[in-house]
Amino acid sequence: MKYNPTYALILFFIISGVLYVLFRPAKGWFWIIKNNFKSNEKIVTEDILKQLYHFENSGNKVDTKTLLQVLDFNNNQIIEVVKKMTINDLIYFESDVLKLTNAGRDYALRIVRIHRLWERYLADKTGFSKEEWHDRAEMMEHKLNHDETNTLAAHLGNPKFDPHGDPIPTKTGKVAEVHGVELPLLPVNSIGRITHIEDEPEIIYKQILAENIHMGSLIRVVENNATRIVFLSEGEEFRLAPIVAANLTVAPIEKEIIIEDNIARLSSLKEDETAIITGISKESRGESRRRLLDLGFVKGATIKIDLINPLGEPNAYLIKGTSIALRKDQAAKILIKKD
Amino acid sequence: MANKNIDHILELSNELRWQIGDEFHDNLTEGIYADAAQIVSDTVQVDESKKRFRLDRQIDKIVTSKVFGFPIMFLILATVLWLTIIGANYPSSLLAQLLLDTFHPILKTGVAAINMPWWLSGFLIDGVYLAVAWVIAVMLPPMAIFFPMFTLLEDFGYLPRVAFNLDNLFKKSGAHGKQALTMTMGFGCNAAGVVATRIIDSPRERLIAIITNNFSLCNGRWPTQILIATIFIGAVVPSTFSSLASLLAVIVIAVLGMAFMFGTSWALSKTLLKGQVSTFNLELPPYRPPRFWKTIYTSLIDRTMIVLWRAIVFAAPAGAVIWLISNIYIGNESIAAWAIDSMNGFGFLLGLNGVILLAYIVAIPANEIVIPTILMLTVLVTGIDGGAGAGVMFELDSVNATGDILKAGGWTLLTAINLMLFSLLHNPCSTTIYTIYKETKSVKWTVFASIMPVILGFIVTFLVAQIWRIVF
Repeated sequence: MKYNPTYALILFFIISGVLYVLFRPAKGWFWIIKNNFKSNEKIVTEDILKQLYHFENSGNKVDTKTLLQVLDFNNNQIIEVVKKMTINDLIYFESDVLKLTNAGRDYALRIVRIHRLWERYLADKTGFSKEEWHDRAEMMEHKLNHDETNTLAAHLGNPKFDPHGDPIPTKTGKVAEVHGVELPLLPVNSIGRITHIEDEPEIIYKQILAENIHMGSLIRVVENNATRIVFLSEGEEFRLAPIVAANLTVAPIEKEIIIEDNIARLSSLKEDETAIITGISKESRGESRRRLLDLGFVKGATIKIDLINPLGEPNAYLIKGTSIALRKDQAAKILIKKD
Repeated sequence: MANKNIDHILELSNELRWQIGDEFHDNLTEGIYADAAQIVSDTVQVDESKKRFRLDRQIDKIVTSKVFGFPIMFLILATVLWLTIIGANYPSSLLAQLLLDTFHPILKTGVAAINMPWWLSGFLIDGVYLAVAWVIAVMLPPMAIFFPMFTLLEDFGYLPRVAFNLDNLFKKSGAHGKQALTMTMGFGCNAAGVVATRIIDSPRERLIAIITNNFSLCNGRWPTQILIATIFIGAVVPSTFSSLASLLAVIVIAVLGMAFMFGTSWALSKTLLKGQVSTFNLELPPYRPPRFWKTIYTSLIDRTMIVLWRAIVFAAPAGAVIWLISNIYIGNESIAAWAIDSMNGFGFLLGLNGVILLAYIVAIPANEIVIPTILMLTVLVTGIDGGAGAGVMFELDSVNATGDILKAGGWTLLTAINLMLFSLLHNPCSTTIYTIYKETKSVKWTVFASIMPVILGFIVTFLVAQIWRIVF
């Protein structure tokens, strides 16, 4: 074939198009096919156990039909695996309803343990964004064996909760309790602390992330009706639809502690104002948190704005006689009390 | 018995840990910090008037202000680059005269007098010596000017303010504001730029800065850009504007490099590097009068000499290779001619030619010798007059004469533009590659940082060549 620049160009775009379809992140055909090859019996078994465990915890009953709906596998394969699992004494039928045997529950707990530990690991030791934690943990939960899990747990300091506030089952299968109720159940004017942010379904979780709601924040409900829930937290007002708010668990605080007054996020500090740091939010984790502490952002330190950035951020803050620049999302995780 | 006890204790400790809860560790750390702060405030006396004294604040207000911040920054950067490029010309030509025009002939006559075989003298003097001399002549003066100036600004405390001003731009592409500094350092020398990324303490942003540093035109590439722009770009406009046009062309290439730097940073932070830990903090230290002589001394020793030494170590074998491929024959063609022939087709597809590709392969150790190698190879394959013999790199004093040789080699405006693009987008020199390995300690990232820019270069020159041929 004779050289022609137009053909060369067209050929180039065809090749790059094919490569894109095959290898684009996450949705590329190559990755999908690769993952499908791996969807073996073990993964199906473990996913069924996990689903049953979650249904059991929320008090729902599951028959085979619901199971086929919630799981993303070939239906025949699921039925095949369910049969095998009954033979292996992991689950049993009570008329139509599927139930976990004790052995099955133990197995399910192990999977949940790995999932939550891995989320914890991703949160503390890597830079993956929050949206990705869940999916990555879904993959990892089928890969780690018993010893690896325990090493990981020890490496992380045997944490009790995952970054969303879900309890991590211990080696022996003990599960801590999450204190609190769903946010829509709190009456107006009650005060509480956010103890859990549910990360499923993804659409709702993304909304919560977009609102910049932080784990461990103190909140006060100011409005609660069928159309919306409004609460104050760290000097800012949040409005959520009840369906979104239901994914937040809040532990009510009974005692009248003196909180809330003047508590704000550092990002809201204005020029010429001074404030005292009251703490760093739970959302600042791992390396970032340690850096902030190292630089002197500790409880009781006085802070004020040193320089305003010409492009909006980061602003420089004067703390302990040193000028340190922080980006907005970092400053939002430092809590202050304005003078 | 003892075992049982230990198990019991372990169990107890786990139980207690469970009861204390997750917050314990954080609370303890914060408590220690808070206590330390309390002790300091009780015992250390601080002269309040000295805290953040007024002059500092005034300077900061100006250099980070909306109005003056950016003009000051560009002015300083432009001055540094201008002084480097213009100021380096004189010592460079002096060194070139000394090492290339004076010493080289003396050495040649010297070895002729002791009856050294031609292949040994060619290998040692035309190959190794010439490459090393070239690298020294082109590389040493700009580095000896650029690095001290840069270090003085650093020492004075201005550079962190640049990072502060620009951070928002870099944040958008997933990078750290301090990358502005390592990028600028890269304009002097990519290897030094890679070393400078040590100032970025966040692992992800540091890797980004290392991988994208190559998009800063280093001083080994500035002369190539300027020469080619003068010969080809300057020629297409009326002669009154020719120097302006060629200057603009070089600036466009440099700015294009920054665009690629931002784009690649963004893509990396969203894909390959998204799992790396990312933190941010930027300290703005107080200004202080630079310690002039100490700075000059350390920047010459730490930066210039180390980089130069590495460049020499890599350039010497490159010179040998260049001489060998032009003087070893397979059949009745030299290796160089064979290689050029086989790469001509691919080169044409990219709007370049086999000579350029071969020059970039043998000149991986040092971008400084690309033009001399291209000239030598062009003369070799076209058989026109000029040059100093097979395997002997040369450069011409006259820009026009250089242009004539290149045009005889079949160069067009497209070749020139694509050479400028390829000079921007190709693998880092071997000094930089080695430095990347030393800094990352990772073969994976080193290979990636070396291959990725070449692939980008192939794609960009390919696209430009096809579109050019369709349009014109």
